[in-house]
Parts: sequence; C-alpha cells; structure tokens
Amino acid sequence: MSQHAASVTSRLADLVGVENLAGDPAGLSRYAVDGLTPSAALRPGSTAEIAEILRFAAAGGLALIPTGRGSKLGIGIPPRKYDLALDVSRMNRVLAYDPGDLTLGVEPGAPYAEVARQLAAGRQFLPLAPAFAARATIGGIVAAGADSPLRHGYGGIRDYLRGMEFVTGAGVISKSGGRVVKNVTGYDLHKLLVGSLGTLAVITRINFRTFPIPPEKRVFSAAFGEAANAWGLCERLAKSQLQPKMVEVLSPSTRHIFAACGGRPCWCVVITAAGEHAAVKRHAREIEGMAREERAIGFDSLDEAPGNALLAAIREFPRVSLEAFPGAVIFRIAALPSTMPALAEQIGSIGERHECETAILARAAGVIYAALLARGAGAEQRLAACRELMSASLAAGARPMIEWCPLDVKRALSVWPPPGDEQALAQRIKKVFDPQGVLAPGRFLGGI
Amino acid sequence: VVQPGVVNLDLTRAAEKYGLYFAPDPSSQKSCTIGGNVSENSGGPHTLANGVTASHVTGLELVLPEGQVVHLGGKFVETPGYDLVGLVVGSEGTFALVIEITVKLMRLPEEVRTLLAVFETVEDATESVVEITARGMTPAACEMLDGWTLRTVEEFVHAGFPLDCAAVLLLEVEGVREAVEAQAAAIAEVCGLHRAREVRRARDAAERDLLWKGRKNAFGAVGRLSPSYYVLDGVIPRTKLTPTLRRIGEIGKQYDFRIGNIFHAGDGNLHPLILFDQRDRAQFERAVAAAGEIIRFCVEMGGALTGEHGVGMEKNELMPLMFTDADLDLMREVRAAFNPSGRLNPDKIFPLGKGCGETRLNPLPVAGGATDPA
Repeated sequence: MSQHAASVTSRLADLVGVENLAGDPAGLSRYAVDGLTPSAALRPGSTAEIAEILRFAAAGGLALIPTGRGSKLGIGIPPRKYDLALDVSRMNRVLAYDPGDLTLGVEPGAPYAEVARQLAAGRQFLPLAPAFAARATIGGIVAAGADSPLRHGYGGIRDYLRGMEFVTGAGVISKSGGRVVKNVTGYDLHKLLVGSLGTLAVITRINFRTFPIPPEKRVFSAAFGEAANAWGLCERLAKSQLQPKMVEVLSPSTRHIFAACGGRPCWCVVITAAGEHAAVKRHAREIEGMAREERAIGFDSLDEAPGNALLAAIREFPRVSLEAFPGAVIFRIAALPSTMPALAEQIGSIGERHECETAILARAAGVIYAALLARGAGAEQRLAACRELMSASLAAGARPMIEWCPLDVKRALSVWPPPGDEQALAQRIKKVFDPQGVLAPGRFLGGI
Repeated sequence: VVQPGVVNLDLTRAAEKYGLYFAPDPSSQKSCTIGGNVSENSGGPHTLANGVTASHVTGLELVLPEGQVVHLGGKFVETPGYDLVGLVVGSEGTFALVIEITVKLMRLPEEVRTLLAVFETVEDATESVVEITARGMTPAACEMLDGWTLRTVEEFVHAGFPLDCAAVLLLEVEGVREAVEAQAAAIAEVCGLHRAREVRRARDAAERDLLWKGRKNAFGAVGRLSPSYYVLDGVIPRTKLTPTLRRIGEIGKQYDFRIGNIFHAGDGNLHPLILFDQRDRAQFERAVAAAGEIIRFCVEMGGALTGEHGVGMEKNELMPLMFTDADLDLMREVRAAFNPSGRLNPDKIFPLGKGCGETRLNPLPVAGGATDPA
C-alpha cells in the first residue's frame, strides 16, 4: 500500500470507526459495480458522518457510490470512476410512524420487508412492491426509481413521497418537503432524487404518506389465446367505472417464470381489486364478464395464498428472469396504454428475428417490461435485438431504458435513451448538487 | 395538452363529454388557470383522495429567462432522467415561464355521496376526522367549517346550514357505487359515535351543489362582514387538529380578532380567516402578528408554512422556521440553474433578511377582491 493510500485509509477509519471500514478484496467484491471494485467501503452510522465522508471525498477528488444492500447496483452505465462505496445499511431505523396522520419517516438503509411488516401492524402499507423485495432497502428503491405494479391504483413514488433529508456531493446536509400529507413550502428538491441513482445526493431520511390496507383484496387471472383479447380486456377495464389496483399483462413466454400461473402457454391478464366487500364482489362479477366477452380461455379468482404468490412473482419479474436466464436483458419502457399492444407485438417479432426469446410483462398503467432471454442467441444477435428494440420503442413515442443487462451489452450500447432538450438543465442541476463530481460519476442518463 | 391560461373549470368542462375531468379543484376553479395551478402546485377539497396538481401533470414546455425553450417530461411520468417536471410544479414562477402543460385526466366517478355532519363542539368534529382516517377510510373530500363561519355563509348562500351548531364536516365519498355506499354508512357511524347531532345526505346533485356552494363561496361571505380579511394557509398533522384549533381560538382572543375556520380537515390544511380593518394601521400590524403566531404553531406541531397557497412574499421571512440557511442556499442555487439572473418573480420564496414579522401592505387579500384561492 502506498503511503498516500495508507493515509487515506487511516483518515477514513477515523471518520466511521475502523470496524465500519472494509478494505479487503473479499469484503469489497460485493460492492463491485459493472466490474469496478472500490478501494474501500464505508458504513457510516449518521448523517453527520456521511457529510464528513462527502467533504473528504470532494476535497480529495474521490468518486463514491451510495448503496444499501446492493440489489440495484447493476442499473445504469459503468461509472467513470469508483473509489469508495458508501454503504448506508447501518442507517436502517424507522424514525417516525404516525398511523393516524398516515405519515412515515425512515432512514435509507431500512429494509423494505421490515418497514412493510411494521406498517402492516398498523393496518397500513406503502405501495412500493419492488423487485428484490427480500433485499431491497427503502433508499435503494427510491434512488433507483423502482416501478411498482401497484402504480395503477396508488400512483408512483413521487405521488406519496413527502420530503427528504439528504447530503449533497459537497457534503452539505439539506432537506426539502416535510412530513405532512400536503405541503408546498419551498422547492420539492426531493423529487429530483427519485430515480437519480445516487448521482445528486446521499439520501439520509425519507418521509412518505402511507395507505390503509383495504378491508378485502382479490386477485383475478384471465387467460387468452390471442394477445388482442388480453389488450381488449385492459381497454374495457380502462373505459369502465371499475377501479382495479393493478392490471398486468403477461406474454405466453413468461409462463416458465411464473410457475404460479401453470397451464398452457397463453396471454394472461392479472388484476387485483381491493376495498369494501360489496365493491370487490362487483369487480369479480364484472371483470369475469368482460373476460368472457373477450373470449377468455380461463378465468380464476384466486384465494389469498395463491393470489399473493402470483403478485409476488409479478413484483419479482426482473429477479426471477435474471436468475432463470443469467444473460437476460430487461428493458423498462414507459409507454402510453394505447401504443402498448403494437409495441408488444413489435418486441415479439424483433426477438424472433434475432432468435432471442422475449418475455413481456406490461403494466396497463403505462410500463412494459420486456426481457430478452438470450436462449440460443449469440452475443451479436442479442446486441442487434437490443439496438432494434431501443429504436423501435423510441419510434413508437415511448421512453425505453435497459434496466438490467450483462456488462458486455453495457459496453456496446447505452442503457439510457438519448437525452432530450432538458439535458443542459439536468447538467446544471448536477453541478449544483455535486460540484466536484463525487457522486457516481457517469452512471446516469446522458453520462451525468 | 393545454396552454397555461386555460381556466381550471373550463378544462374539466371540455373533458366531461368524454367522461373525464381534471382532478385538482381549488375553490377558485371558476377563475384560476392551469398555469397558476402548476406554479403553486394547487390543491383543493378533493386532493385528499386524488392528490395535488403535481400528481396530475406529466409534461411541461418552458421558456427559460434567457429565451430558450425546453421540454420536460411528456405524456408519461417517472421516465429516465431527473424529475424536473416534479421540481418545476410548485416553483411559484421563479424558474421559467410555463407555456404548455400536459395533464392527466381522471374518469368521472359513477357515484358521489355528499354528507353534512353537524356537531355541538369543534372537538367532536375534529375527533371524527381522526377516527375516519384511523378506520382506513379516505373520503374524496373532508372539509370543516366552524359555527361562526357557517352562520356567515348561511346568511349569504342560504344552503340550509344549521345556525346553532359549533362545527360541521362536509364529507364526500366517490367511486364505485358499492364502495361509496359502504363508506358513507361507515362515516355516518363514526360521526354518530362522536356525538354528531345529525348527518344529512345530499339527495341529489342540486343539494350537493348547494352544500359545496356554501364551502366554495365562504370567503366571499366573510368579506361582506369585514373591511378586510387575512386568509392563512398552514398545515398540521391531522391528529393535531384539536389542539391547533384551540390555540387559534386563544390567539384570536389575545389579539382581539374574530378568526373564522374553514379548511381541508382531512389533510390537516387549515385556512384561518382573520377579520380586521386594513385602514387601521395598528390593527393591520396586529393581524400580521397573530397570523405569524398561528403559522409558527402549525410548524411546531410538525406541520408546514403553507399547504397550497405558496410562500410568495407573505411567508418568505418565515422560511427559516422550516429550513436552515444551507437548505435555502441549495434551493437558491437550483433556482439559479433555471433563472440565473433572478429576473423571474424576484423577492419571492426566500427571506430577504428583513427579519420575521416585517410587514408589507400590497400582498394582503382584501375583501371583495380575489375569490377564494382554496
């Protein structure tokens, strides 16, 4: 170890305590991002420590990536530089939970599963439903802008996020928003941090509004021989007075992923209804009627256990796909519901042309997850399919990104769509939050 | 996709023929514009269930102060990139000129049930609100009027409000018919448990409109009684409604003002109305001091300076109650990323260092002038 490196290490140990500093290769491998391993990992225990670390990094020209339990470190393009991992998993407390006010404040390293358990004790929940739910931390979910199948009924993170405390790349502790459910005091800087992949600030506290758990919930699954009928059911639902909490369309090739669905390969629409007993009953009746009119070849109203298993499989679609097909490329495409049927068909034919099997999970609220499962296809074919899928989505007016893919794909093409004319503003914002370029440089859209 | 000068209610009227509507419904919706709603991130009675303006805007076209046109977002939300749309909504016109807005519309509910619960004490009304939430119900709207305000409103709109009660809750549930019926029954039960004298149901659209007319024209009604009034806008956690209203009453006594209360109880967004005479300089200064004390109390309760009306030039000196210098400096720098020369809406939002309680004459609402902004 050079003298300089040794002095850096001793300074870092001073900042967080030697027991919270990892410098050995075995301990560091789990912090690797796109093949880059940091030279040290720090596990701070307070906001003040994080501010010290960031000031130290800014002064020394070091690059740093914040992380919780690492479930989403694979998102984004390879960072330009990566010296330190900032592991916030020790900051894992629920700081405030007031069921009567529907408000919750947590530290970023709080595990999603643990927070969900505490909320359930107050008969409440957060509609996050992230992939990697067993490992995910609240900070990671928010920083990655993870999508939720419950978006249909409850909106996205930005809709129930209420405020944050965070530390900028310059090491300044700051905050915006508040705790109450309604608030327009000051700029909503916290919204910028949703989906920012740690490129603007390190989140140290997140405030949400929570939701009451509905008295009753039911999961329905309708199977169709043709894609057009599955989309037809979505359209009928959208035009109806029903208010399902979730509407997901699954392509036939997701079947080997969703063992819970069972049966023959077909298109499947999974819907949840929740609320008062009489309202759920009406949803059951009318949804089944609509499915029959679309010539469904099967319709199930699932009991709690199988229903929850199916919902978990939908939530975990990226993880299960990656585990079954380690080389899978998973696109996340924001699209208007009206363009989704044609886009889904195109995705299928792009896959066929390049001998990649494709699995589609479409959120009727406006997101398509498309997994190129890389079965049989060579690396070249897979890349060609990715390029074509990216441009076809853009041509359809959608906003695609590759959320998960192997490193060789990242090296060959950008996982982000081309930036729009807001890019200059985004760069200025980055400069305001992180003037020295300490935080995850190069990982974000447009190379920010 | 609308231009900023479109009036809020006109957008809903245009969408209605497709069975859709624009959810944010400030009480001023007959005159306020979508551009203004975007600037202030406006709310309204129905934000309790449907969310504020930010949840209904997906794209913006801006002109930056240097003349450059920029497009943010589009027809869908939470796409890759920083959420600049979410940042610009509610920025009080200090970032850029918004020239085009892409909004999300909602389907008109098949059933709307409007209830009026009448209480003998303010506490019973506020405790009902807390319990409705605790039981896991989210009404589409949950408004409260205190007895004095109610009598004033009744003289003006003749909606048939009871004249001898301490408070009423105006509650609305909407959505799927079966859910609405179940929730309306449960809400009536909760109010009954908290000693509501009666729970009226609007029998038809005309009765419903009459009840809402009382709510949405309340500020105008108060304006008939007093040369000037000062509409406050503070937020508290809803479980703190009872002590906060008590404190507002004490502050009114201490400063010798009549303070009416009419507000969005469901989300803890208060609108105390201080009646005073602006021509009397001493009264004016006392009104500003009383207002400052009320807002301070809201923040102490864990609330916020403003729920939907914004900071502007009225509360900029109070910002340090919620934010440190570092917080405000970062916000200033973000403003400079859009608006480096500070030419757009200068002197708004940020304290100018004149000290708390500094008074100004021009921004105060005067009776008979602007309509109810909330």
